[in-house]
Amino acid sequence: MTEKRVLLSPLDPVHDIGLKMIKNALDEAGHTTFLLPPDVTPGEIVEEALDRKAEVILLSRTLGYGVAELLGRFVDLVEGAGIRHKVRLGIGGMAIKPEIAAELGFDQGFGPKTPVEEAVAFVEGRNYVPPKGGKKKEKRNLVGDRTYAYHHQGIRTLLEKISEKTLEWFDGVESPGIRRAELREAGLAGEKDYLTISDASIKDYFSQGILPSGLRLISPEERKGLQDMISAGRVENPRILQRNPRHPLVFIQYGTGCPFMDIAHIKGTEAWGADGVVHFDPSWGAKTEGLLAGLLSHEENGSVLTEENLELIKKALEPSTLWQVRAHRGLNTPETVLLAGEAGADLTKINPVYGSLGGGTDPERLLADAIKAMQYAARYAMPFDMPTNEELCGVPAYKAFAGMLIVTHLGLEMGAKPVLQPLFCYSPEMMLGGQMEDNYIDYNAAKVMALRRIIDAPIWAGAPIGFLTHTEERVQSAVSTSFHAGMAASLDIEGISIASADEAYSGGPITLPARIDTLQGTGEAFRFLGSSRMQPTSRAEEWAEELMTNIHGVLKEVAENGSFLDSLYQGILGSQKEGAYPGRNGRRTVQEIK
Amino acid sequence: MEAKARVVDALDIETFLICKNEEEGRRISAGLMKSMGCSDFDLVFIHHEGIGARVRIRAYVNRPGDRYTWLEGGDGDD
Repeated sequence: MTEKRVLLSPLDPVHDIGLKMIKNALDEAGHTTFLLPPDVTPGEIVEEALDRKAEVILLSRTLGYGVAELLGRFVDLVEGAGIRHKVRLGIGGMAIKPEIAAELGFDQGFGPKTPVEEAVAFVEGRNYVPPKGGKKKEKRNLVGDRTYAYHHQGIRTLLEKISEKTLEWFDGVESPGIRRAELREAGLAGEKDYLTISDASIKDYFSQGILPSGLRLISPEERKGLQDMISAGRVENPRILQRNPRHPLVFIQYGTGCPFMDIAHIKGTEAWGADGVVHFDPSWGAKTEGLLAGLLSHEENGSVLTEENLELIKKALEPSTLWQVRAHRGLNTPETVLLAGEAGADLTKINPVYGSLGGGTDPERLLADAIKAMQYAARYAMPFDMPTNEELCGVPAYKAFAGMLIVTHLGLEMGAKPVLQPLFCYSPEMMLGGQMEDNYIDYNAAKVMALRRIIDAPIWAGAPIGFLTHTEERVQSAVSTSFHAGMAASLDIEGISIASADEAYSGGPITLPARIDTLQGTGEAFRFLGSSRMQPTSRAEEWAEELMTNIHGVLKEVAENGSFLDSLYQGILGSQKEGAYPGRNGRRTVQEIK
Repeated sequence: MEAKARVVDALDIETFLICKNEEEGRRISAGLMKSMGCSDFDLVFIHHEGIGARVRIRAYVNRPGDRYTWLEGGDGDD
């Protein structure tokens, strides 16, 4: 490399940080540099270049007004001084577009975000080759090193008692959902025995090829087009949002209705930093006995659960992406977990409490199905999270948490790895009680603090974070997600599900750019905080203690009742007055095993 | 493939419309989208304050379940 004499000058009143960084790199590389102060005229720069025998002049310009005239005049002055043939000219900065710089007579223009190394390469007269690779994104384990050790022995004793009785009951019952899962295991999905215990819409499809309204089979041409798009659009270096090992994994929820649109959203969000994606199925699927088959597209929200749809989505995922298929609330819960496990999902979602009190399925049916589903989750080593969305119906957090902890203990008994999912939300309880009148931090922090003091289990806040704080306005929505993500990072939790910046809009499907908005916001929150934290006030401590006391009280009541199932019907884990109504789908379908 | 065919799902137009009230803002938004040749559109957000309204207008190009224009192949951006 030949040593160069380089003159650097900002064409702005104050901004010269970019040039200072380039100067440092050039000095380190052994060049001789002269950095002029800001606010020097073009004529003075040319004089300095003559005096110092500069071989390269690097200018910067941040302000946009009059930039073309200014740069054009500078090039004229260099030519007028008779040194243009001896000096290479480079210009960079926020106001610079490389193509305009070339038109004005510069040898090279550097746009915003140009790496310092590229400017050094220009000075040294060589082509800049961007470094390959960078930090490779690896698939992370959501459970991490959580031990599931109880810190609250009183609660542990109650959970053991409740679980023992519940599992005794489970051993003596079966349901169409359990039976169909067993038939699928035996390779008999869609066969006669399976269809006998399925709804008419499923029978019609398998026996006569009639699809339910709004569904259509995807054509081979469409599939070919998708495969071409995926092959061309592999995400070489997915963005890493986290700036610190304790920042949570970030999940987006997809379920546009069509696996192809889902895949477009997944590929877009993977590139912009999503660590995981959650499969949402249609709400009617939860009310239907039996699952369909084939590559199916759906015109409404929720992507149909079929083996073929899941296989297609799995193939499109990057190796670093965590994949969850949710199964928590419907009549096909065990079969969905089985299907997810077979398709290679990393995670699933099971919570009979929310599913039966807020999701519309009969408690008896869903409890039996959920326990079977937990057995499958354990078999396929899929941790499952337990959404406490009954809070959105109006159930107080402590009741929702008591139910979640019972399910946690049942899951552990089944050998599975449950993941706690408190909502970071502005719930009806908060609206009525005023706990979030001052801020959104304290009560959400109290939830995490209380759960951490009960059990050392992974926490995945959801779903999505900031529920009921978002509006249809894009910036407000993205910023709310961003702040909630910052709070999650401050509380050392393992995962978050984020909304899109159009989640509150109910008039049409969620869009990919709106998903990217909130991924950007989340990344900025992590960048902003780094290893620092948001600090709750002392109210969080008071509320955490109150939550623990109340959770203990509810569990005591369930244990005294003697039946977890009966407690669901009786409203101990959320009453009708509070907004929890035991679901009716699948009622009286559980039978005692003879 | 025409440029609009490359839009994965929807076009959002975000701007500030000079108008007397929200009602007029809605009418102007609809007129704007029609003038741009968009028929499947909706107002995601509108808020009138002072001299006009902040709007987020959305035109769906590809809805889930459609035969997606971006899967039809072809290069170029005409």
